[in-house]
Amino acid sequence: MKILLVEDHPELAKSIAGYLAQEHYICEVAGTFDGAREKLALFTYDCVVLDIMLPDGNGLNLLKLLRKEGVESSVIIISAHNALDFKLAGLSEGADDYLTKPFPLPELHARIKAIMRRRSPHKNNLVTFQDISADLESMECRLNGKLLNLTRKETNLLLYFINNKGRMLTRQAIAAHLWGDYTDNLDSVDFVYQHVKNLRKKITDAGGKDYISTVYGFGYKLNAPD
Amino acid sequence: MKLNYRYTGAYAVITFFVLSLGFAIVYAALSRSVTQATLGKLEHLNEVVAAQLCSGRNYAGHPSRANVLVVPVGPREAVPPGPVAQVRTEWNPALQAEAATVRLTTYPVVGGRRYRVASHAAVVEPRDVYLTGLVLVFAWTFVFLLALVVILSEVLSWRILQPFNATLRGIQRFQLGQPGAISFPPSRTTEFNVLNEFLTRMTARAQSDYQGLQEFSENASHELQTPIASIKAKIELLMDSVLDEAQLRTLTTMHDELERLAKINQALTLLAKLEHFEPGPGALADLSQLVPATEAAFADLAEMKGLATALHVAPGVRVPLDGALAQLLLNNLLSNAIRHNQAGGEIRIALTPVALRLENTGHAPTAPVAELFGRFKKGNAALDSIGIGLAIVKRISELYGHRISYSYADGWHRIEVVFAPAAE
Repeated sequence: MKILLVEDHPELAKSIAGYLAQEHYICEVAGTFDGAREKLALFTYDCVVLDIMLPDGNGLNLLKLLRKEGVESSVIIISAHNALDFKLAGLSEGADDYLTKPFPLPELHARIKAIMRRRSPHKNNLVTFQDISADLESMECRLNGKLLNLTRKETNLLLYFINNKGRMLTRQAIAAHLWGDYTDNLDSVDFVYQHVKNLRKKITDAGGKDYISTVYGFGYKLNAPD
Repeated sequence: MKLNYRYTGAYAVITFFVLSLGFAIVYAALSRSVTQATLGKLEHLNEVVAAQLCSGRNYAGHPSRANVLVVPVGPREAVPPGPVAQVRTEWNPALQAEAATVRLTTYPVVGGRRYRVASHAAVVEPRDVYLTGLVLVFAWTFVFLLALVVILSEVLSWRILQPFNATLRGIQRFQLGQPGAISFPPSRTTEFNVLNEFLTRMTARAQSDYQGLQEFSENASHELQTPIASIKAKIELLMDSVLDEAQLRTLTTMHDELERLAKINQALTLLAKLEHFEPGPGALADLSQLVPATEAAFADLAEMKGLATALHVAPGVRVPLDGALAQLLLNNLLSNAIRHNQAGGEIRIALTPVALRLENTGHAPTAPVAELFGRFKKGNAALDSIGIGLAIVKRISELYGHRISYSYADGWHRIEVVFAPAAE
């Protein structure tokens, strides 16, 4: 999967590109409007991760240009504008998704995966991890073929874990994924604890192994067995 | 006190003094001229008597002598150089009353002999006759003048002060964040034009300063988000490497602080944005649909905290609000109600066509209730919130003219948003 990252802040671009490379994406970086345009003219990308404020132009214009030229790539906007700006001013028009800076890197990964799945809905609807499988169409999770009785939030949480297996997930990142923007509900991290606890209990009650480990004071990790 | 009332008051006082003075002058002049006229008559009478003495005939018993006493002056008697005039009150036998009397004494020399001719006459005193009339005349003049002044000042001030009142209204309506400059209608009065010119200049400068400040704070917040995002990403990457517990702990603290910083920054940017947000016309939010949806979105949080939620929603409640802002408002209210609740508490949400009321149990606020709408004001210092949610809620309500109030009584926090009537 090929991704073009358009971000003018070099260090942030380096971090995101490094992270995406670890997730086995092929990631190229453009730091300017013109650079991005050139790359888009020469190559095709599955997904463009686009910053709005670029030194030599506005990312939104690039998005308009892409759509006008009929480029099929999915676009995720990453911007310092908050979610409300997007909704009020229709900034995200033509984009597949948007993320407000700062965002947890696993969240970007989850969004890219979701978009890719939407682009090819019939392919690969099943996500599996060890003996757990999740059907993204029906949102049903099974353990060794046996249906797990999970709530919607718990299913979301499990998918987030599977998508980011082997990675440390901070409580804030999980909270942001489950409840989205808007709330400055900082004690939602307590709710994360509850959800994770319930999820672990449901899996172990169904006879599954507890793959999730707690990193004290920080977050959780779905351990991929070697 | 209104300007024209002050003018009228001052004018009334001045008129009163002037009229009183005029009254005193008229009164004094009148009483003086009465005495003078009587004296003139007596002078004439004394001359007539002197002429009678000259003729040598006996005029005793003549009507001219009724009020005249003629006595020859003794040789040793001192004689004043001229006629002597006196005015005093004395008993008048003809009137059978005390009356003001004018006496004139002359000393004519007739046939080598000097006589004393003393005549007297009662004068009509102004105090007896004219005083009441005079007072009435002046009093009525005063009353009419005052009435005229009051009416005229009302009419004139309405006409003359019209541009000034327009300016006042303009300033009252003026808001720093409004688009476009303030404008005043031109006036024929120089002072008002000078004032208007000054106000136009001042407000234009204040507006441009304000706008600059707004832009600066917004840009600054935006510019801050990218470095924060960069540091956060680096920390996240670092955490996936092999670290000992102490290092992980330090990183966690850094990460949490950064998260908080980003949240505050975002909230401030949002507030700055709302500060000069222009509500679009005709935006209506269907609260009857949004309120239950929001409640459902927060249901799992409420459930985990063991909160019982009671929801009463009237159907078809649509109020002037942007959809995204309505969602933000409801999110903030509901997350507040959950966060500041106690375990096993309650939440009551009631939506009627006129108001949205949200009540929740919780500890008494530690800060005065009125301050909770301010920025960084927390009702409970123990909670790790940034305390800006209610400020945002208030600003959104204000944008659309909804009135929001907060109260606490008997363990219940109550927030009520009374909707502004939809502008048709």
